[in-house]
Amino acid sequence: MKSLERVFATVGGQPKDRPAFVLNLSLYGSKLAGIPLQTYYTDSKAYVEGQIAVREVFGPDLLLSPFLVPAIGEAFGSEVTAYKHQVPNIRRFSAASALDAMKIPLPDVDSHPRLMYLRETIRILSARYQGEVPVVGVLVSPVDIPPLVIGVEAWLDALLSEPDTARALMDRWTPFCVDLANAMLGDGATLIAATANFANPTIVPPRVIQGIARPVLEAAFSSMKGPIILHHGGALLSPHLETYLGLPNVAAYFVDARDSLAEARRGLGEAPVLIGNLHAPSLESETPESVRSQCEAILVDRAGDSRFLFGTSGADVSLATSPEVIQTIVDTICLAGIGAS
Amino acid sequence: MSRDWSGELVSCIRGADRVAANAILTDWAETRTYEEAVTHLLTPALEHFGKLWADKGGETSLAQGYVAAKVAEDLIGRVLAAREAEGRTVETKLGPVVVGNVEEDYHPLGRKMLVAFLRSAGWEVHDLGVDVPPEVFLDKVQEVDARVVGASAMMFSTAKNVVGIRQEIERRGLTGRVQLAVGGAVFKLRPELVQEFGGDGTAPSALHAPALFEELWQRSLSLDSVTK
Repeated sequence: MKSLERVFATVGGQPKDRPAFVLNLSLYGSKLAGIPLQTYYTDSKAYVEGQIAVREVFGPDLLLSPFLVPAIGEAFGSEVTAYKHQVPNIRRFSAASALDAMKIPLPDVDSHPRLMYLRETIRILSARYQGEVPVVGVLVSPVDIPPLVIGVEAWLDALLSEPDTARALMDRWTPFCVDLANAMLGDGATLIAATANFANPTIVPPRVIQGIARPVLEAAFSSMKGPIILHHGGALLSPHLETYLGLPNVAAYFVDARDSLAEARRGLGEAPVLIGNLHAPSLESETPESVRSQCEAILVDRAGDSRFLFGTSGADVSLATSPEVIQTIVDTICLAGIGAS
Repeated sequence: MSRDWSGELVSCIRGADRVAANAILTDWAETRTYEEAVTHLLTPALEHFGKLWADKGGETSLAQGYVAAKVAEDLIGRVLAAREAEGRTVETKLGPVVVGNVEEDYHPLGRKMLVAFLRSAGWEVHDLGVDVPPEVFLDKVQEVDARVVGASAMMFSTAKNVVGIRQEIERRGLTGRVQLAVGGAVFKLRPELVQEFGGDGTAPSALHAPALFEELWQRSLSLDSVTK
């Protein structure tokens, strides 16, 4: 089976030759291709070169656009710090408060250099792997944009104490988020992955979820013209799935490494795809033997789950992770396919 | 029937309602002082909420913890303003201690919550902000004669920089005398990293940090006396 067929079979709950898998090797591609991060995260062709190496070496069934949400903050005027060994991060926010952020001009999804960098990676990857490998456009939902522009503290202040301002900001920024998602889909992304941390009960209270976050997600997702993977973004999902169930166009749920896959499946029911849940950043401390047993435990747990897609949860697989550990994950999944056939 | 001030404050924190919490503090201060509120209102409320946080970690939210820290910060601000208005000097009972985000870490929220809870518990805190190199931590430690350093990191990739602080403590011959507290999301997820990266201890939340700092301060004193 081609990766695209394997992924579609997973979505449809159909038989497949082995479990489909996605690994967060967005960063790791730079190591495989020998490209400095400064270049990798600014030159879309360099990023694509890294992802081609990821595909050729490890063969994941989905490829990712840059797992680089600070780029969205940059588009709104925030400043980032580049590192030699990790993903860039925001060091200075563009505005001090939600009220100030209302004055920031919306970035043009068709011309802003940082957004074009993200989009161009999708365009090149999807053209190269058309009909073979789905490409995921990595985004954040509108409720998670303000932390990239004004910071977590100022966004919490608005959500908790100035709900009208928070709503007004979401009214202004939701169309931008929808436009960017639809542009990525137009560029060839098969799916959009989006976080929704500020709709999660581990982050905000029920009044914020019901009064602001959930309506924003409904409005945004219903206008996106493609399937969506709801990504955990570092927060637990399985105990809080009722918060997200029924959101338009959400086809898959990508859970945290601490989430119980069985609990998540019970909460989701049969239809959506469930993705998870090996903790990617921890892999650098693992050995091939230890990671094999973790993979086997996950695969045994999900043996009868036809809509399970194996994935690494959390942030990127770090550059310090040995290729043998990653190859062991791949081998273990492929071996599960042989066992199943 | 007397008003359950502390219970009301806990309720506001659980509802992540900072405005209502501050209204309670204002009501309290109509007949008492803000300084008394620290002991008789804030401390029991935070102890109560801290127990909930420890017992029901999965049921408490970032917003609740944030509001608890803000309420503590708001009250300390009122206490300091009242003291200054009366011409009294600002005194702290404990410390000094030094805190900051480790080098390359730009996630200040947890550290700010830590500072608020430490100050409300009476600690003199020197807050160095985000992206603090090891030598800057230790320069400040030696400048103010601190015995505890609090290093905050959110992600695995930056938490590894705690190792540099440990090495700097050793390089300056301060092992034992200077205790290293570490905290942040990654240490909750993987507690084994505290020891692996050279930390002397961690706490389940920022709210529990004052107890950890007290423990480490006492450990520093005892180790220091042994070496002298």
